Amino acid sequence: MPLLGVEQVTSGYGEMEVLHGVSIEVNSGEIVSIIGPNGAGKSTLMKTIFGLLCPDAGTISFRGNDITGLNPDRVVRQGMAYVPQVENVFPSLTAHENLEMGAFIRQDDFRERIGEIYELFPLLKKRKKQRVGKMSGGERQMVAMGRALMLDPQLLLLDEPSAALAPNLAEMIFDRIITINKTGVAILIVEQNAKQSLRLADQGYVLAGGRRRFADTGKNLLANEEVGRLYLGG
Amino acid sequence: MDILARIPQLLVYGIISGSILSLGGIGVSLTYSILGFANFAHGDIMALGAYITLGLFTLLGGWGLPNTPFAPLSFGLSFILAAILSMGLTGGCMILLDRVLFKHLRRAGSIILMMASIGIALGLRNILQFFWGPQPHYYIEGIQIATRIPALGIRIKPDQVFIICTAILLVVLLHVFLQHTKIGKAMRATADNMDLSRVTGINTDRVILWTGVIGAALATAAGVLAGIENKFITPELGWQMLLSIFASVVLGGLGNIYGAIVGGMVIGISEEISTAFVSTGYKPAIAFIIMVVMLLIKPAGLLGKGK
Amino acid sequence: MEQLSGIINYIVYFAITAGTYGILSLGLNIQWGNTGLFNIGIAGFYALGAYTSALVSGPPPSAWDGRIFGGFELPFIFGLLAAAIVSGFVAFLIGVPTLRLKADYLGIATIGIAESIRLVLKNESWLTNGVWGLQQLPSPLYTSIHGGTKELLQQHTALPGWLHDLVANSYNWFYLLLVLGILFILYLIVEKLTRSPWGRVLKAIREDEDSAAMSGKNTFSFKLQAFVLGAMIMGIGGSLYAHYARFISPASFKPLYGTFIVWVMLILGGSGNNKGAILGSFVVWGIWAGTDFLTGYLPFSATQAASIRVIIIGILLEVVLLWRPQGLLRRERRSKTFL
Repeated sequence: MPLLGVEQVTSGYGEMEVLHGVSIEVNSGEIVSIIGPNGAGKSTLMKTIFGLLCPDAGTISFRGNDITGLNPDRVVRQGMAYVPQVENVFPSLTAHENLEMGAFIRQDDFRERIGEIYELFPLLKKRKKQRVGKMSGGERQMVAMGRALMLDPQLLLLDEPSAALAPNLAEMIFDRIITINKTGVAILIVEQNAKQSLRLADQGYVLAGGRRRFADTGKNLLANEEVGRLYLGG
Repeated sequence: MDILARIPQLLVYGIISGSILSLGGIGVSLTYSILGFANFAHGDIMALGAYITLGLFTLLGGWGLPNTPFAPLSFGLSFILAAILSMGLTGGCMILLDRVLFKHLRRAGSIILMMASIGIALGLRNILQFFWGPQPHYYIEGIQIATRIPALGIRIKPDQVFIICTAILLVVLLHVFLQHTKIGKAMRATADNMDLSRVTGINTDRVILWTGVIGAALATAAGVLAGIENKFITPELGWQMLLSIFASVVLGGLGNIYGAIVGGMVIGISEEISTAFVSTGYKPAIAFIIMVVMLLIKPAGLLGKGK
Repeated sequence: MEQLSGIINYIVYFAITAGTYGILSLGLNIQWGNTGLFNIGIAGFYALGAYTSALVSGPPPSAWDGRIFGGFELPFIFGLLAAAIVSGFVAFLIGVPTLRLKADYLGIATIGIAESIRLVLKNESWLTNGVWGLQQLPSPLYTSIHGGTKELLQQHTALPGWLHDLVANSYNWFYLLLVLGILFILYLIVEKLTRSPWGRVLKAIREDEDSAAMSGKNTFSFKLQAFVLGAMIMGIGGSLYAHYARFISPASFKPLYGTFIVWVMLILGGSGNNKGAILGSFVVWGIWAGTDFLTGYLPFSATQAASIRVIIIGILLEVVLLWRPQGLLRRERRSKTFL
C-alpha cells in the first residue's frame, strides 16, 4: 500500500475545473517529482491533496486512511506537511517563531527538533531573532521548509521550492531535499526546474492540461525522448 | 499667547482621551488583522461593557461588598471587581455573537461582515437603551479636586492618572501576551496569513475566539474608563467615539495593533488641541480630516507596511 | 367607511415615505449593487440634498432665525437640481481620495463624511440655523392645490364624510404622484444605464476589479462616476423629503434612518436589482410602520418601543444575510458579455 494514494481526482476553483481525473502514488521514503508546463494543474493538485481545495470527484488516502476533503489543519495532524509556493512564511514573526508555529500542535518538548532544523540550515540559527519579512528569498525558503519539518512529517509536499532563487541557492535547496529524504521523509515535489527534480526523483509524473501524461521512474522520464522534447526543453 | 498657555493642559486631556481611544482601537485592529473586516459594532461593545460593569457594580453592592473609595480615587474595590468581571462577560458575549452570526458569514466576505456588524451595533445600542433608557447613568459619584502641578502648568485628577496607568498596564499585558505566549504568537501568525496558519496546524478557530475575547475585554476597559472620565455613561457612548477610533486605527495602519496605540494617542491629542482653535463640536470631524489626509499621503498608515 | 378613508390616507402618507426611500435605495444600488462601493454615509448625502434644496427654494431667514444666509425662494425644481448637484459634488470630493482604496476604507470614510456633515449642520448656525433646523419650507404647488381643494369642498358641502376626507387629502395625493413619478423616471434612467456598456463595466468592477483594470478600463474613473451618480440620486431623495416634511433639522438625519434602513431595504430587496431596490424599500418601510402598531400594544414606554423596533430591523438584516443573502429579487444574471 502506498503512503499517499491519489485516485482519479477531479478538482478546481469554483466552477473552473483544473484537474480531470488525476492519479498518483507516493511510497514511503520516496522522492516523487511532478513536472509539467504552466497551468498544468500542479499546484492545484498539491492544494487538493492538502485539503485547501475539496475535490469534486476521486479519493485521496494517506497511510491507509481516507483523507478526501479533510481540512488542512486535520491533514497536518496525519503526518503530512506542505510548503506552498508563495507566502509560505509568517513575515512579521522571527525565524525562530516561525519554527515554533510549525510545532503548534506538538504537546511535547520540541527544542531538540528545532536544534535539528538549525543543523540542517545553519544560516537560520544565526538569523533566528530576525523577522522573516526582512529575509532574502533563499532564507525564506529555508524557514518555510524548516517550519514544515517541525512536526516530523512522513510526507513533505514542496511546491516549486527553487522558484525565483539564484542557481547556487536552488542547488543548495535540492541538496537539502536529499538530506531530508535520507532521514526517511517521503517528498512530493512540484518543479519548473524539471530536469533537476527528475534527477533526484525515484518516481516522476508529467502533468499537462490537468491530466497525467506520463508516469515512470525519474531516470526513465529523463531518457524519454517525447518527454524531453515536449517538457524538458529539448 | 493665551492659546499657547492652554496647550499643556490640552495635552493632558489628549493623553487621557488617547488612552481610551487606543484601547478601543486595539480591538478594531485585531479583528481587522485576523478576520479582515472593520467591525462597526466595536463602539457599542464598549458601551455594552460599560453597562455590564454598571449592572455588576449594583449587584455587588447589593451583596454588601464594600465600595469605600481607594483614596484619592473616587471608586473602590467593588467597582474595579465589576469592571474586571465585565471584561470577561463582554468577551463571552463576543464569543456568542461570533458563534451565532459572524462565523456563518465569514465565507461571504468582508463587506457582508461589515454590514452585519452595523446591524449588531444598532441592535446592541438599542438593547442597552431598552433596559437602561437613553438618559445618562451616573458612574462615579462626587466631585474630585484636580491636583495642580505648577511646574508643568497643568491640573490633573487622580482618576485621570488612573485612566492613563490602566491603559499603559493593559497595553503592556497585551504586548507580553502577543510576544511571549503560544496563542499570542499564533494570533500574529494568523494575522500574517490565515491559510498558512491552517496548513501549519494552528487552530484558527481558537485564534479567532481569542481575538474576539481580547478585543471585547479591551473595549470594556475603554468604555469603563470613558465612563470614569465623563462620570456618566449613555447607550451612545461607544458610537460617539467610533469615528475617532476608526480614524486612530487607519492612522496607525489598519490591522496593526501597535499602530492603533500610536494612532489613538495622535488622534486623542489632536482632537483636544483643536479645541483651542475650533468649536468643540467638531472634535470627531478633526479626527476624520486627519484620517483622510493620512489616506491621501500613505494609505497603509503610520506603522503600516504598505502592501 | 370613515375608517377606510383614514386607512387610505395613511397608505398615501406611507407610500410617499416609502417612495422617497425607494429613491435612496436606487441610488445605493448604483453604488453598491452595481459597482460594489460600500457607502455607509447615505444620511450625509440625503441631508445635503435636503438642506441645499431648502436653502435654494425655502424662505429667507426669519426674525427668530440664527441663520443669516440662504432662502432664495426659487421654484422647487431648482432646489431639486441644486440638491443633486451639491450631493454629487461632495461625493466627488470624498470619492477622489478614497475610491482607490479597499472597501473598508471607503466605508469608514463615508460614515465620517456623514458625521462631519451632521456636525456642520449642527454647528454652522449662520447657514443652517443649528439644531433648530430650517422651518416653513414650501411644498411645490401647495397653495394652489390646497386652496383649490378648499374651495371645491366649500362648494360641495353635501359630500359624504369619507369622500370629504379623501378629497381633503388632495395635496398628499399630489405629492405621492410627484414622488412616484420621479422614482419612476430615475428607475428608467438607472435601468437604462446599468444595461448599457457603461453599466457592464461597473458590474465587471464589482465582480473582479483587477481583471476589469487589466482589460484596460480606468476603473477609478468608472467608480467615481457611479459614486457621484448614486449620491446625486440620494440628494434628490433629500430634496423630496425636505419639501414634504417642510421642516428639517440635524436630528432628521441620524445614521439610523438615513443609512442603515436604506441598506436593509436594498439587501432585503436584492442588491444589483433595481426593481428589488424599490420593492425592498416598500417592504422594509411596511415592516417598520407595522412594528409601530405592534409595539403600541406592548406594555413598554415610548423609548423602549422605539428600541424594540430598531432591534427588529437589526435582526431582520442578520436573518436576510444568513439565509437569503441575494434578497427577494436576485440580481439579473446575464451571460458573460464582458471579459
